[in-house]
Amino acid sequence: MDRQQEFVLRTVEERDIRFIRLWFTDVLGVLKSVAVAPAELESAFSEGIGFDGSAIEGLTRVFEADMVAKPDPTTFQVLPWRGERHGTGRMFCDILTPDGQPSLADSRNVLKRTLAKASDRGFTFYTHPEVEFYLFNQLTKSDSKLEPVDQGGYFDHLARGSTHDFRRAAITMLESMGISVEFSHHEAGPGQNEIDLRYADALTTADNLMTFRTVVKEVALEQGVFASFMPKPLADQPGSGMHTHVSLFEDDRNAFYEPGAQFELSKTARQFIAGLMVHAGEITAVTNQYVNSYKRLWGGQEAPSYVSWGHNNRSALVRVPMYKPGKGNSARIEYRALDSAANPYLAFAVILAAGLKGIEEGYDLLDHTEDDVWELTSAERRALGIAPLPRDLDEAIQFMEKSELVAETLGEHVFDYFLRNKREEWEAYSAQVTQFELKRFLQL
Amino acid sequence: MQSRRPETLTTHLIRAGLADLTRSASLWRDPDLVAVLDNRPRGSAGADRGPGPDRGAVILEPAATALLRTLATVADPDLALLQLVRLAAAAPDRLRPVLAVPDGGAPGTRDADTRGDADGKAPDEDEPPRPTARERLLRVLGASSALGDELVRHPALLDLISDSTPGTGVPAAQVRAELLRAVDADPDAADPVAGTLASSGSGPGSGTVPSGGDRSPSYTDRLRRAYRARLLRIAATDVTAPEPTAVLPAVAAALADLAAAALEAALAVARSEEEDHGAGVRLAVLGMGKTGGHELNYISDVDVVYVAEPGLLPDGAPACDEDEALRVAARLAGRLAQVCSGASAEPALWQVDAALRPEGKQGPLVRTLASHVAYYERWAVTWEFQALLKARPVAGDLALGEAYCAAVGPLVWQAVERPNFVEDARAMRKRVEDNVPVAEADRQIKLGKGGLRDVEFTVQLLQLVHGRADEDIRSRTTLDALAALSRGGYVGRDHARRMGECYRFLRALEHRIQLFRLRRTHLMPTDEGDLRRLARGLGQGGADDLVKTWRSVRREVRDLHEAVYYRPLLPATALLSTGEASLAPRAAMARFAATGYRDPAGAMRHVQALTDGVSRRAAIQRQLLPVLLGWFAEGADPDEGLLAFRKLSDTLGSTHWYLRLLRDSAEAASRLAQVLSSSRYLADAIGRSPESVRWLAESESLTPRGVRRLASEADALLGRAQEVDAATVALRALRRRELARTGVGEVLGALGPVDAARAISDAADVVLAGGLRIAEHEARADRQVARGDEPARLLIVAMGRLGGQEMGYGSDADVMFVYEAVGGAPDKEANDYALAVAKNLRRILSAVGPEPGLPVDADLRPEGRNGPLVRSFESYVEYYSRWSSPWEAQALLRARALSGTLSVVAAGGPDEGAVEASLSDGDPVPGGGASVPPVSAAPVDGDETGSELDLGPGAAGGRSLGARFTALIDPLRYPEGGPDAAVLREVRRIKARVESERLPRGADPARHLKLGRGGVADVEWTVQLLQLQHAFEVPGLRTTGTVAALKAARDAGLLSDDDAEVLLEAWRLASRLRSAIVLWSGRTTGSGVDQLPHDSHALTGIARLMGDVGTGPELEELYLRVSRRARAVMERVFYGAE
Repeated sequence: MDRQQEFVLRTVEERDIRFIRLWFTDVLGVLKSVAVAPAELESAFSEGIGFDGSAIEGLTRVFEADMVAKPDPTTFQVLPWRGERHGTGRMFCDILTPDGQPSLADSRNVLKRTLAKASDRGFTFYTHPEVEFYLFNQLTKSDSKLEPVDQGGYFDHLARGSTHDFRRAAITMLESMGISVEFSHHEAGPGQNEIDLRYADALTTADNLMTFRTVVKEVALEQGVFASFMPKPLADQPGSGMHTHVSLFEDDRNAFYEPGAQFELSKTARQFIAGLMVHAGEITAVTNQYVNSYKRLWGGQEAPSYVSWGHNNRSALVRVPMYKPGKGNSARIEYRALDSAANPYLAFAVILAAGLKGIEEGYDLLDHTEDDVWELTSAERRALGIAPLPRDLDEAIQFMEKSELVAETLGEHVFDYFLRNKREEWEAYSAQVTQFELKRFLQL
Repeated sequence: MQSRRPETLTTHLIRAGLADLTRSASLWRDPDLVAVLDNRPRGSAGADRGPGPDRGAVILEPAATALLRTLATVADPDLALLQLVRLAAAAPDRLRPVLAVPDGGAPGTRDADTRGDADGKAPDEDEPPRPTARERLLRVLGASSALGDELVRHPALLDLISDSTPGTGVPAAQVRAELLRAVDADPDAADPVAGTLASSGSGPGSGTVPSGGDRSPSYTDRLRRAYRARLLRIAATDVTAPEPTAVLPAVAAALADLAAAALEAALAVARSEEEDHGAGVRLAVLGMGKTGGHELNYISDVDVVYVAEPGLLPDGAPACDEDEALRVAARLAGRLAQVCSGASAEPALWQVDAALRPEGKQGPLVRTLASHVAYYERWAVTWEFQALLKARPVAGDLALGEAYCAAVGPLVWQAVERPNFVEDARAMRKRVEDNVPVAEADRQIKLGKGGLRDVEFTVQLLQLVHGRADEDIRSRTTLDALAALSRGGYVGRDHARRMGECYRFLRALEHRIQLFRLRRTHLMPTDEGDLRRLARGLGQGGADDLVKTWRSVRREVRDLHEAVYYRPLLPATALLSTGEASLAPRAAMARFAATGYRDPAGAMRHVQALTDGVSRRAAIQRQLLPVLLGWFAEGADPDEGLLAFRKLSDTLGSTHWYLRLLRDSAEAASRLAQVLSSSRYLADAIGRSPESVRWLAESESLTPRGVRRLASEADALLGRAQEVDAATVALRALRRRELARTGVGEVLGALGPVDAARAISDAADVVLAGGLRIAEHEARADRQVARGDEPARLLIVAMGRLGGQEMGYGSDADVMFVYEAVGGAPDKEANDYALAVAKNLRRILSAVGPEPGLPVDADLRPEGRNGPLVRSFESYVEYYSRWSSPWEAQALLRARALSGTLSVVAAGGPDEGAVEASLSDGDPVPGGGASVPPVSAAPVDGDETGSELDLGPGAAGGRSLGARFTALIDPLRYPEGGPDAAVLREVRRIKARVESERLPRGADPARHLKLGRGGVADVEWTVQLLQLQHAFEVPGLRTTGTVAALKAARDAGLLSDDDAEVLLEAWRLASRLRSAIVLWSGRTTGSGVDQLPHDSHALTGIARLMGDVGTGPELEELYLRVSRRARAVMERVFYGAE
């Protein structure tokens, strides 16, 4: 038994933990959980916990229903909202096939594989997500109107604002679970908040994001409100994005940093951005996976609709933040398309893969854009070589279908499942008759 | 005559083996050296030495003569002379007594010159004489430039050279005490600490560091110097040994003891830097690898594992808590490694490598005993147990170390029962062989095939397999373990002895290479001088001889693995010589199981049956089997392989050529093993046509026969036949044999998928043509019609994959029948006759029989199953003029006129009972016009053999029936201007419907090789659509072959290069997979044959059979990817989707 596992067993013993939840994520990024008693933990470590994978989205083919969840002891945490006494702990799991091979359907494994590929080239991939979400008053009925908990705006400080309490409670809870929060504030929309997680390697960040969503929902419930990571819940208000800062390190040297170069960006960084520019359309179905995601992408405000990059240009898909002198290791770029409802494992994997492709193939980077891309005419954009992101999920699917990069990154199984699932979603969505249509056309 | 003449210096030098004469002559005259030899102070000598090398004779002083004689025996005389000159300059007074000859009365040197040391022929004595100090010095100087440099740096070491006590065989405790005293630690203390013993100065012990006059060196440096002093003694004993391979075990053991002592002394230094000297912490250092095995190299990483516990106070309570103990212990361990290998004034000893610990480099450096045990009980993988086999307490708290061994030892011996042991062992063995950089593969002494690791691996594997039941074979030392395995009857005595010899040779070689510069290397040098030194040092003659010996040893090691591992699996009754071992049944079961045989008892029965008795067959099989057992074990299914071999031997064992072939052709035997253990289909096929074993010996037998040869063989066969049933069986057997030939060719990688498909189709062509002859014979017999008086002649039109000459092992023969009345026979009569012949043909080829049938499927005929089985040519004309349904036109793209009624060669009636006629008529169109092109429907790649079987159907109207039929359908399948839009739409619609309807229920479209996404059908429909559209303008498209049509479409620009490549790759991969599934499973029908299996066992077997597609999961990923791409191209090109 390794040290980490011993540590977990000891903690469970010492803190009198009665349940351990084993967490894993389905292909769509939905958290799944199975609880085991402490007595089962040792065998969970050595053999894993068997379960029927066919019941879970995209996890397996029916032929291989038996799957094994094997907990990763380095991810052990006590769940603070379950109380101090008789507590509950949780660990993330890797999904294995019955003969012990990593499952091709496990999205955590997809990210691990991609990280391993980066590691073969000497890179470590760090991410730093800024997660936005809305707080609403509890819904009484499923069709009642959404009421944000406040009417604040960007960085507003609200007197007696319930969102203060909320953020304080959420951050305390996150910190108690070992997840560092960089900062938090009220966002532009009413009831909209942003919490930024400190940068960490991509696998840790992705695990943290899964925890984060759970914590935020738990805390909201405790406070009698309701938290939503839906990309665009209110038509006339900004959507909830998850701008993510990314960087590559070679050992402890930031590979994106080159003093004296334009924006202090190294060749590696430029090629990485170029990779994102070339493949942005293909990866959008993964980074923005729901029909609703495109309401945010094309709804103006802070969301990027066009494939461009720039220095502190808030309309660009990739933004290069202002360089802080003397902080070479904080050199990074910000990918702004991601939304808060993405499966972080798959999203980070495709972003990394696109960037790596740029480095491998030595893509050239077009000039950065200083203009506000939304203000340009479409002819101007065309002249500048600025392409739009997919307009809707359907278009994103069509981009993705043709992408060898995404297929290779996700693996044929996840790729196929994901596309099938998204086509179904698009079809179901297309069959809807919306309020908009009724309002406009009923009189015809 | 020469001996009487006074000799020049050059002659002397040449005789002493010096290579660079100019330089050595000047070295020889070096004043410092001369002064030492002449026993005079420097400056008063040298000028009066004889003239130059070539100018005259020199008379040598006795000291000089003795020196030259000794030089002649060293590995590198030039180097030795050079170092000697440096020593003469650095320390003439210490050097003088070493070089002195006895009559000079040199003190301390035993008189040995009287025994004529130079040629090494000692007079018989009770005990071999010890080498003189001069010999010891010069041999060391000539073998190791590093030790020579060390001597020059610390000339005091020369005193050690004078001491003739052997460096090997010294008790470990003595070496330990020596090194501990060097750091002023008390060897008798429970936990020695450096600096606690009153400094002993140069000390009384003979091995203590001679003080070089330096100012108090650090303990680290004192340790390192003491280490090297001891190393020098060991090396001196090693290089003066008469038989390098004989002294090797003692040298390796002495080196291991020295390393253990150094670890202990380094720990003492580490303790001295702790405030309380690390009291209260028990730390044990376990040697792993060669250190643990008590068989160390001169220079290699010293592998260790640390165990620590809190010490106990007198009252039994722990002295500190566990975390504290682990912290202190980790600090001690870290410091220990630094003392051994960190930077300091004296060069480092070696790396201390703790990577074999639980969790490797990620794991904590030090663990408690309980933590170690818990890890090994739960987490360790097989190779970690193999590593544990070597664990031995070498320093620190030995009682704790023993406790560790006692706790983890039992786990080592249970490793063989772990579920993945076989796969792990196989993977480990592969790693042993593969983990060699290509550039070094040819120079590696340690890794790679036939290297040291190979021997060690074999021995350890045998220990793991049998050590569970037998404690006597658990030695950590390779050579001891080998001897014990031999004593215990697990390995034949002769094989064990030979393996031991190889091991000693390789180790001695490795030692001498490392000794030269004291560098860690396992590579054979390439430099001529280096090789010469090695060869002389090892008594191997010249460089070429050494390399030759080395190569033959490597070869022998490779062969010995099989002999040692598999040979004892033969039953006792099979033994020929007394030097061989035979395992007891339980041990044999264990070994079979550990090799990958799922049914060891069954395997033993087969081996018993194969080797029992005194027959010549049994004798040869006793020789063959051990190797074959190993080869079977490498295949996908060892049990099947062995079973098939037994069946084959039961059938063939007594034939004169069978065993001789296998015995004399290693290649044939290895191919047979590969085929039998990877393909059930072929195991069965070879069992039925045993003569096919012969093909394995000659590669040309594996190339397809070609339709021409097959046709003449069928012709001869039918010509000889006396009755219908026998003729049928013979004909089918011919096809079965060709299927086997093709399969063997594919499995052995001699045949690509396209050629294989062609070969299978050719065999089908021949069988159809031959079958038709038999069918006609029957019809004539029923009607009492004489040959030549038939009312109709019949044409077989090949369709589908047969038409495309792309059949698989399980394909049916798709055909249509066309007849034509002859001799003015009424249509009714002609039709009756033709129908009878067609029915006969289907029966003959499809009926259940002793040989595999070829189902004849006529569903592609006009009106499908509802239409008449045979139609007259006129009827086809009329039908096609009225109907031109798109699917029929498409089906006709693959139509290939195959064969018609044979021209009558010999008049013969039914009464003769002979089916005879020439199948291979030279002229395909009797009476036909010369202008008529061959009727064959565009054979693939323009090979004219396709015409061979167009055996001249009726030639009415100046053209054969085949030619006329082809001319009839060409306008349909290659419509001028391409099909109109409605037809295109219809073709696409049919395809779309087929996709949803034809797929078997529950089949995953992504995995169905024929009808699934990007499968065979997708590619073929795409190609066929292009043919329908463009064949009228692109002649290359007028072919029945998918590959040929694809290439033609690409060349004509109808497909981009990329698209064509994607489609081709998908079609080839799917076709190969379909073949591989049949070959692997042995099943030609059933729902499984067209689907990529889910089951990982099957996937792995198929991947292994295909050879170049990676592992099972990789094959799966590959197919899914390739077919997805093909589907994308297909949707674009076929459906016109953008």
